[in-house]
Amino acid sequence: MSQAIEHEGPADGGAGIGEVFDLGYQGYDGERHGRWQARRAIWRDGIRITLGLGRGVTKKVVPFTFIGLVWLPAVIVIVITAFISTFGGSIADIEGPSFDEYYDGAMFFTVLFAAVVAPELLCPDRREGVLTLYLVRPITATDYIGARWLAFLTVTVLTLWFPQLLIFFWKSLSASDPREWAIDNWLALPRLFAAGALLGIFLATLAMCGSSFTVRRPYAAIGTLAIVVISAAIGGIGREAFSGAVGEWASLINLPMVTVSVVHWIFDADTVGPLDERIYFAWQTVLTAGFGVLLWWRYRGQGR
Amino acid sequence: MTTLLSAQNLKKHYGSVRALDGVTFDIELGVTGLLGANGAGKSTVLKLFLGLLQPDSGRAEFLSIPGAGPIDARQRIGYMPEHNCLPYALPAAEFLTHMAEVSGLPRVAARVRATDMLRHVGLFEERYRAIGTYSTGMKQRVKLAQALVHDPVVVLLDEPTAGLDPGGRQDMLDLIRSTGRDFGISIVLSSHLMGDVERTCERVIVLDAGLVMRTGPVAGFLEETETLIIELAEGATALATALAQRGLATRAEGRTLILDGATGADYDTVRDAVVESGALLYRLAPERHSLTEIFVPPADGEFAE
Repeated sequence: MSQAIEHEGPADGGAGIGEVFDLGYQGYDGERHGRWQARRAIWRDGIRITLGLGRGVTKKVVPFTFIGLVWLPAVIVIVITAFISTFGGSIADIEGPSFDEYYDGAMFFTVLFAAVVAPELLCPDRREGVLTLYLVRPITATDYIGARWLAFLTVTVLTLWFPQLLIFFWKSLSASDPREWAIDNWLALPRLFAAGALLGIFLATLAMCGSSFTVRRPYAAIGTLAIVVISAAIGGIGREAFSGAVGEWASLINLPMVTVSVVHWIFDADTVGPLDERIYFAWQTVLTAGFGVLLWWRYRGQGR
Repeated sequence: MTTLLSAQNLKKHYGSVRALDGVTFDIELGVTGLLGANGAGKSTVLKLFLGLLQPDSGRAEFLSIPGAGPIDARQRIGYMPEHNCLPYALPAAEFLTHMAEVSGLPRVAARVRATDMLRHVGLFEERYRAIGTYSTGMKQRVKLAQALVHDPVVVLLDEPTAGLDPGGRQDMLDLIRSTGRDFGISIVLSSHLMGDVERTCERVIVLDAGLVMRTGPVAGFLEETETLIIELAEGATALATALAQRGLATRAEGRTLILDGATGADYDTVRDAVVESGALLYRLAPERHSLTEIFVPPADGEFAE
């Protein structure tokens, strides 16, 4: 290994004067990690892409706008409560949204967030040819797509959980006995985590799957939104057009209804669909797995 | 000599198109050229070694590890594709750091290696600029740097001078030479440009239509011939006459005389004839073989191995 050293030190050998060393090329003899390090690096990069970190301002605007819109109701409720209590008002009458209602309301912006932001993780790598460089490194295509999916899921789920946790603690602290309220309502915590996770997994997988079919981000975003909107329209029409069992089963086509029904089932809230909510849960699980397999299949042959 | 890459009876078809038809060769330490026209199968060979493609039959091995075998082997192999492969929005330093991490280097070491590599390819000052703002030559350098950032044993370069102007091409070839000779990293240079292979490689493997035409040291393909080239500023006719009087028949091509079958003694004869005829000599040198000749089939249609 070349290690040519040029020494341009002082001619009189005196100290305190700058010296320049050109060590030439240095090989790397240090530690080399395995595939988990590579997966972690791609996951971390995926989170940065999702949030636009390390990118220009325009890349941050879209994700943080949608995240802000998902969080906004919780922030508004808390700000109003704080405002009223500061001026001596009573906050006992302020109901605030329930956990299932919050997910219902957040659904629209979360779908938009998934549809618009998920393509950023996949489309540029294929369009710019970067995917080839990943696939010649010590990972498989499954490692790559798995890490990217998990990165997007991480941000999506945290986006869903955070305002719910804010509301939980707001309700707890605004109760006359916060400790007693928390003990009485502890079941809301696993429920909100489970509901947020299932909703996040479904939307992240759907959006990533949609993004795997094109190298153009706008097409991917429009495609994902089209799936959601058209499924809701067809499901709604089917339910109206067919009476009896056929109409009820047609509601499974309506993806927003499926996800809302699963959230309500988890929180033991009012039903929104005509079928047993366990059927919606099973159907959402099947759909999630199907989109996941399709996503994996799209990347299985990449680079080959 | 250590064999780094070994192709054994490799066959690959894309549908009905034959890309490789049973090629067998070994690539050893050093700089090796993979020479052939477009469609000869060069990129296919590289992708088989990287495990990006699976052969229809045969084996492509890296240090005796099949190309599609243990993933960990890819920690020690680098690849510079021919096509675009760079994220335009990212700074080069960030991109190289990420690629080094994906190759298994710890984060701090990855950052140091990325900076070192960008210094070696002459992009140290530009390392925080978005790659999309780089010129074509700079992008080619980033592509080379990402192939080297994890300190591979061997790096596969697919048409590294594609799209470069003459100055950029020379710079890239100088970088490749220094990578091979000073860095101690073995290189496989795939190119359809014979000049690139002549200038940078120690050995060459010539592919044509999915077959290996020739293999061997580049120097062996560039040996001197027995043809003497006499380039003159003026006096070509007088010199031809003087040589004919001494029993040497020449062919004239403009101001150049060509003497076939020249021996060592003929150089003295030419010198004396130049003095006698008063011709102004510009250059006197034996003709050399060229890699171009490989692609001219011999009269009997057989290629010597």
